[in-house]
Amino acid sequence: MSGKIMISIRLAVEPVAAFELFTARVDDWWRKGPKYQMLADKRPRLHFEPGEGGRLVEIYDDAGDMFEIGRILVWRPGERLVFEWRQPNFLADQVTEVDIAFTRVAGGTRLTLEHRGWAKLPADHPARHGLDDGRFMLLHARWWEDQFEALKRI
Amino acid sequence: MTPAGIDSTLAALADPTRRGVIDLLRERPRRAGELAEAARMSAPAMSRHLRVLRTGKLIEESHPENDARQRIYRLRPEPFDALQIWLSEIQEFWNGQLASFKAFADAEAPE
Repeated sequence: MSGKIMISIRLAVEPVAAFELFTARVDDWWRKGPKYQMLADKRPRLHFEPGEGGRLVEIYDDAGDMFEIGRILVWRPGERLVFEWRQPNFLADQVTEVDIAFTRVAGGTRLTLEHRGWAKLPADHPARHGLDDGRFMLLHARWWEDQFEALKRI
Repeated sequence: MTPAGIDSTLAALADPTRRGVIDLLRERPRRAGELAEAARMSAPAMSRHLRVLRTGKLIEESHPENDARQRIYRLRPEPFDALQIWLSEIQEFWNGQLASFKAFADAEAPE
């Protein structure tokens, strides 16, 4: 019972390459399926629009059917990527943030991911219901500032 | 724990004063007056926060044997355990995505 949730992994590629693979190739590595996507009944393609002000979107067809997960707030190739994370059941002004740091280490990169902002959702928000639905896995947390600490390494 | 139970835990923790109280109570049980003082807050104002935490079943109230007027608050571990389980489920989402990313990125690494 402590601090904040962070996930840290070590990669065998350099930070600039790691950033490029993470963003440009997101659709090649992103896990799909009911637990991992916004609209469970569709087959999405994930896409980062490069640069600050771009978006992370789930694209469902060529006709432009898509869901905007969030705007990109920080885009520093090889260093840091911050983007908003909004789920379909969030209200318009509700958003969480994913903050990813790419740090050079011997033999590659340490990637550290933090997902924060969960505390901004009011308690009666529908995103907090339906926990037995498989999609509750998408209810990413954060971490009441310093309430929880669980540094997990893969 | 039901979703409703988690909701009340989250609601109780949605306020910085109440999170501060939780931090203090994590160290040891404390008197209401001590908590009000630490938060630089009037006794009635603190009392309202303590009521929310009590309703959310995050803390419980007791009295010392020799003084029925005195109130002592301590943490109840159960809601935090449930929340921790819930958060770990959520963390599994990113664990899954990042494990997948690692496998993908490492395969692209130069020999």
